[in-house]
Amino acid sequence: MSVPKPPAKIVIHNAIRPLRSQHNEMTQQELADRIGVSRQTVNAIETGKYFPSLEMAFRIAHVFDQPLEKVFICDIGN
Amino acid sequence: MDASFEEKSIWIQLIGTVAGIGGYLYVAAHMFTAGVDALPAYAAVFLVAVGLMVVILVLGHILVAVTGRAEQRDERDRLIKWRSESNSGWVLAAGIFVAITCMIFSINNVLIAHLLILTLFAATLMQYAFQIFYYRRGMR
Repeated sequence: MSVPKPPAKIVIHNAIRPLRSQHNEMTQQELADRIGVSRQTVNAIETGKYFPSLEMAFRIAHVFDQPLEKVFICDIGN
Repeated sequence: MDASFEEKSIWIQLIGTVAGIGGYLYVAAHMFTAGVDALPAYAAVFLVAVGLMVVILVLGHILVAVTGRAEQRDERDRLIKWRSESNSGWVLAAGIFVAITCMIFSINNVLIAHLLILTLFAATLMQYAFQIFYYRRGMR
């Protein structure tokens, strides 16, 4: 029996920047205050320099009142 | 520099450690080559060095807190700290191993003590360097 291989490449994007725009031009600082991190951490998440924990990802999705998969988009390659 | 309070704190600690402990090691090396062979003679210099380091840390953090926004450490800060400690921990372990080996061969206590201080200094600098690297480049 062959063991299924994991996907070779997973790329995770996020829609935080457009979602901030849609929410009255919410600033990074406002989002940071609402999820309890520094503004630089929000910036790192937005620019893909840091992937947040699952808990933090849910917090961000909750702020925008969106399901998680609308905020963090995963492209799975082979 | 667009840095969080925690990153600025790392820079202050780096400067304080280099000035304090780095300065001490420089003076201690000169004392040792001049023939000072008793540990108590180094203690006063070490206390001054630690005092200098504490002053730099306190003043630096006050300056950063006054000019910016003091923030709690968040999950990214904690992850960067854990990964950096993990990357630099082997330096401390290697230094302790060498120091124990030196004890077995009854090497001068002054040298062993300073080998341990040097090891702690190197491991700490390496940790700060990794932290700054991860803050600048990001963690994926």
